[in-house]
Amino acid sequence: MSIIDGTGAGPETLAGSGAPHGLGTSVPSTEALAKTQGTYPYAADLWAEGLLWAAVLRSPHPHARITRIDTTEAAAMPGVRAVVTHEDVPGDAMHGRRVADRPVFAGDLVRHHGEPIAAVAADHPDTARLAAAAILVEYEVLEPVTDPEKAFAAEPLHPDGNLIRHIPLRFGDPDAVGEVVVEGLYRVGRQDPAPIGAEAGLAVPRPDGGVELYVASTDPHADRDLAAACFGLESDRVKVVVTGVPGAMGDREDSGIQLPLGLLALRTGCPVKFVATREESFLGHAHRHPTLLRYRHHADAEGRLVKVEAQILLDAGAYADSSSDALAAAVAFAAGPYVVPHVFVEGWAVRTNNPPSGHVRGEGALQVCTAYEGQMDKLAAKLGLEPAEVRMRNVLATGDMLPTGQTVTCPAPVGELLKAVRDADLPPLPDGEDESQWLLPGGLSGAGEPGAVRRGVGYALGMVHVLGAEGTDEVSTATVRVHDGRATVICAAVETGQGFTTLARQIVQDVLGVDEVRVLPSDTDQPPAGPAARGRHTWVSGGAVERAAKMVRTQLLQPLAAKFGMSVELLTIADGKITSYDGVLSTTVAETLDGKELWATAQCRPHPTDRLDENGQGDAFVGLTFCAVRAVVDVDIELGSVRVVELAVAQDVGRILNPRQLAARIEAGVTQGVGMALMEDLRAPRGVVKRPSLTGYPMPTALDAPDVRIVKLVEERDVVAPFGAKAVSAVPVVTSPAAVAAAVRAATGRPVTRLPIRPQAAVVKPRT
Amino acid sequence: MLPSSLDEAVAALAAMPSAVPVAGGTDLMAAVNSGLLRPAALVGLGRISEIRGWQYADGAALLGAGLTHARMGRPDFAALIPALAAAARSAGPPQIRNAGTLGGNIASAAPTGDALPVLAALEAGVILAGPDGDRELPISHLLTGMDPMRPGELLAFVRIPLLHAPQTFLKSTGRTGPGRAVASVALVVDPARRQVRCSVGAVAPVPLRPLEAEQWVAGLIDWDGERTLADEACTAFGEYVAAACIPDQPGVELPPAAVQLRRTVAALSRRALGRALA
Repeated sequence: MSIIDGTGAGPETLAGSGAPHGLGTSVPSTEALAKTQGTYPYAADLWAEGLLWAAVLRSPHPHARITRIDTTEAAAMPGVRAVVTHEDVPGDAMHGRRVADRPVFAGDLVRHHGEPIAAVAADHPDTARLAAAAILVEYEVLEPVTDPEKAFAAEPLHPDGNLIRHIPLRFGDPDAVGEVVVEGLYRVGRQDPAPIGAEAGLAVPRPDGGVELYVASTDPHADRDLAAACFGLESDRVKVVVTGVPGAMGDREDSGIQLPLGLLALRTGCPVKFVATREESFLGHAHRHPTLLRYRHHADAEGRLVKVEAQILLDAGAYADSSSDALAAAVAFAAGPYVVPHVFVEGWAVRTNNPPSGHVRGEGALQVCTAYEGQMDKLAAKLGLEPAEVRMRNVLATGDMLPTGQTVTCPAPVGELLKAVRDADLPPLPDGEDESQWLLPGGLSGAGEPGAVRRGVGYALGMVHVLGAEGTDEVSTATVRVHDGRATVICAAVETGQGFTTLARQIVQDVLGVDEVRVLPSDTDQPPAGPAARGRHTWVSGGAVERAAKMVRTQLLQPLAAKFGMSVELLTIADGKITSYDGVLSTTVAETLDGKELWATAQCRPHPTDRLDENGQGDAFVGLTFCAVRAVVDVDIELGSVRVVELAVAQDVGRILNPRQLAARIEAGVTQGVGMALMEDLRAPRGVVKRPSLTGYPMPTALDAPDVRIVKLVEERDVVAPFGAKAVSAVPVVTSPAAVAAAVRAATGRPVTRLPIRPQAAVVKPRT
Repeated sequence: MLPSSLDEAVAALAAMPSAVPVAGGTDLMAAVNSGLLRPAALVGLGRISEIRGWQYADGAALLGAGLTHARMGRPDFAALIPALAAAARSAGPPQIRNAGTLGGNIASAAPTGDALPVLAALEAGVILAGPDGDRELPISHLLTGMDPMRPGELLAFVRIPLLHAPQTFLKSTGRTGPGRAVASVALVVDPARRQVRCSVGAVAPVPLRPLEAEQWVAGLIDWDGERTLADEACTAFGEYVAAACIPDQPGVELPPAAVQLRRTVAALSRRALGRALA
């Protein structure tokens, strides 16, 4: 009998002990109070004695040759302590997450609007900004390549060429045809991760010639290695200390912040602080890949899919970043969670002079979900079937094969999810009581008119992979220490707000039966835990914490078990007390420890995966997770304004570890999806970012966020995952935009092929 | 500088002409913080109680320039000038409405300023306090730059005729929550002068008045009778207003965005008229 099973029965077994405790209960986050009160420290709140302020000069052009950089005037300004350009980078000139193709500072060529060119450290932030503005840069402006379709034939923007990756996927018979064929062209815009908190950092030089970077990193070890290579230092002389992370939907921070900071601290020997303006943030960090998708679906007369053909073009922006991963997800999930015997996909990620694209929750999977669900609606319309019915006839299940040739071995309750959202009650129409109180599209004091409002219902099914794909070594290490009846967890997995520290506490509470568990802040002196992305930390870091805690448990109980001549498995720990199965033995954890400290460190490394081969085939994914969303929208068909009334979500979660946190993750994901569906699109005509501010880039407010109804959480444990749990954050983001688009289609009868949905796409022209 | 009366404020501005007056600061301080504006000095208007309320004068309301949007959105004010209250309620989130003022909306003169089309449709007058005494001018003269504010002048009051007739303000934004206007329409019915006045905001640098459309629709209304119009007339009025505000370019087809904007203005104008006459 394992301890986990013993308490996994749920909250009722613990009802007597008061506060929530252990897995399966809504243990509250330790940071929640400080965050609510505004006292939780973020990077922008850091301070060091004698610090200098940094400012970064960024390119106003998306594509230009730099003919001259003159820093003399800026360097001579009173208060300016250092000015650095590409010439002052002592280490590797190029860096990048997957491919080293990005310079720290643009030297001879600018490849996107906002690319860093130089950085200044001065004794006052205004002085630094003025000095940065005083740096003389002469540009020879070049024609930007901003249409990804033209990138193939355009002059190379980079020595590596314009094609970052091409994946052809060939599965089945290319000559197969269906009785019914539908085609579609879909476009997905550029969503910004728009983290709520400012991007900021503090670099402090060390006496040994190294430097410490205090940043809201989500992958501290990778950031450390990248920084060390650019600084020309061994990686043990650079330390990344993770500060409070104010929201992370993708990678934090932009390397254009930490690298200049470190260089300036090393150059001046003083601590240097930088706080990015929102404008810089919009220009610098990675966005969701704008994508163009062409699809052709073949089906038989009963609506069963025969063949899916697709061309997928991702606009990667100027540098490769993680575009290769996004493309792999897009190609592998091009047909969605449906059984399709023949699939042919061509996927490309190309370089342009547009703002950089990279890792943003659900990358690749979101774009294709929009397209294949658009196709399913088209198919339903052509066959005269209900949209939910045509989906139901094709759903994937455990044991089916993905178009990559990988057999789905994890739970895949797609049909059950779809059935749950389809059969859930619809939200009531507003009753006729008081029209002025209806929340119509356009808002409370808006222009909505009940007579022009149409309601629509739409469905979408989505899937994403869990953990890094294609042979990424997904490993995490954690240490657990027990002393004085308390436990401490040391793990470099970053708490980004996703709830990892809460989960780690719950795991240790369960395994060791101690209530008080502390999770220490992360830094790179700890063993690596990898990036906080793709639901990794629940799996690998949670798994490592569990193993380490179990090792400590064995150390704790072994002597006791030996003394009483029973095996460790016959002892249980709860509420700080150790008892034997027969109740004969009863002692406390503190007493057994007798002043000793117990430590254990463990790793969790899931089974390896393959890279997709030249036909897009291979077992590329460790795990998959699925979601069904039903959207109900109101559309003002004259103004084209849309309000999402309700999103009903059914999700495949493996096992519920923390019900409250799980619901919060789904609500957050769905809201981000609504933003993608209706308003979030960072416009960059001719490569120049327009209106990079939170006024110019609207995001959902409380009034835009729909009622989120979680109608079903399917708890079918994934046997290979620790606790059987699946990552929950990304798949609602992936699925909800497609559901909103389907609902707008149903309300207006318009095709809706573009995200975000523009008002003109939701207007129904009066019959004349 | 924090003067406590209008006279003190005018004197402070006269003493230091490069100083910038600041009320709610929702536009100004954002510009200062982002480094776009570096005023030599600020004259804070927050302590001048005489411009934070309103009074009545000869069938008009004299609104203080320091009235906040939050105050204008309350029911007592809405009973007085419903369209302005509606505009104030739609202007940004509560934090902005608590700080931002009527005078600030006029002084910023942003194309998307929510109060501006209402003031234009009401043919409001603005009263400027200056070193040489007060002067009053029509809001449109100020906004169009025909008669700009002179150095040392301070926006003190806004005079609004009380019409005791229906008036509406409708705004279209990109989301359900508060947002910048894509287009807004203010419409007032003035039975005493037998006029319908309409003003369209956010589609041009200043609010636009489609005068011909106003006259045309005023001619259709039976002022002594029911004061209602057929749906077709409202629709035609909407098209008329939209075509006037977003005119055809000779020989060029309107870009899709302009077609959508025109459709939005038409729908808003039609709905505004329909509601005012309902």
